[in-house]
Amino acid sequence: MTVAPAQQQGGGGTGNLYDVLELVLDRGLVIDAFVRVSLVGIEILKIDVRVVVAGVDTYLRFAEACNRLDLESGRNKSPGLPDVVGEMTESGARGKTKGALSGAAQTVSDAYRQAREESREREEAPRRSTSRRKEERE
Amino acid sequence: MSTYVYGIAAAPGPPLPDGLTGVGDPPRPVRTVEREGLVALVSDAPPELRPKRRELLAHQRVLAEAGAHAQVLPLRFGSVSADDETAGGVLEERAEHFRERLAALEGKAEYNVKAAHHEEAVLHRVLADRPELRAATEANRAAGGGSHEEKLRLGEQMATAVQAQETADEALLRSVLEPYASEVSEGPRSTGWLANLSLLVGEESAAGLLDAVDELAELHPQLDLRVNGPLPPYSFVERTGATADPPVGHAAR
Repeated sequence: MTVAPAQQQGGGGTGNLYDVLELVLDRGLVIDAFVRVSLVGIEILKIDVRVVVAGVDTYLRFAEACNRLDLESGRNKSPGLPDVVGEMTESGARGKTKGALSGAAQTVSDAYRQAREESREREEAPRRSTSRRKEERE
Repeated sequence: MSTYVYGIAAAPGPPLPDGLTGVGDPPRPVRTVEREGLVALVSDAPPELRPKRRELLAHQRVLAEAGAHAQVLPLRFGSVSADDETAGGVLEERAEHFRERLAALEGKAEYNVKAAHHEEAVLHRVLADRPELRAATEANRAAGGGSHEEKLRLGEQMATAVQAQETADEALLRSVLEPYASEVSEGPRSTGWLANLSLLVGEESAAGLLDAVDELAELHPQLDLRVNGPLPPYSFVERTGATADPPVGHAAR
């Protein structure tokens, strides 16, 4: 179960932004001659996409989820084949994954794009600069 | 006036778009400090810089712009030098080291891959693999949901099975994707992911990596996969910590 929004073609999901920002905050070269800005107050980034509490609550949640599951849709297929599940989730989860991946396949990070657009929202033609950058990368 | 440092590149530095700005409100113009055949990408540091979303994005944006044309060593967010002179002094002092890192990372970029489970799909997967759990599910359902105890028993077994599936899928992800990477680094810890991997990938392998991710999603619909890249090599600028062969089954959570 994830609550990250589906990535739309040409759009930028905030889930993706957070994905990159954790690297900006947590990784990168640290040079001891430089002072680092205090990172107090970065809770904004600590999003939990799923909270799993081991124990009774979790068990009941799983039991309920099983109870709601559409068992019939997979009934006549031989179990264990991935496409059994694939068919069941085609319209929902799978479509969402596809969307995210085709975004990735363009090798243009949504975060880059969104960051750029945000920075230029008061300037002209953000779209043009996006496509220009794509050409330059190729 | 102190100096905010974004990254380090070989001189004369990547061409920067006109009017490129970085952190601060109003955003400060980005410039370079050159020394010893290297440049530091810098701007004035705004007073009281806070780790706000817009500032983090500004840092990332500057590195993305610069990194589109040349390899850049990304600094961690929030690195502030006393002034330009001090930043230049660091370039001078550690020129050898920076040059070595730039050479080592040339033509490579970071790809961050995160995986979670689509809950419904993983439950289907687990029930398909384990007839005894499917039977228990059907029995509970026939009994109108089952007693509290029956629910707990099934739920516990399902939770265990889903965890095992997470471990298996993380190992699968690593085994499929690692061949495309020259280095692999566990991503920063956060909850909700069964895997959070950063891969250092050469230009020639990037398309293969993305195809492999597509294929994984195709074959294993329980996987919710997200790829971000190419990114500045945040996780690989320092030599320590990153290895090509991290322990398997070490979930990032």
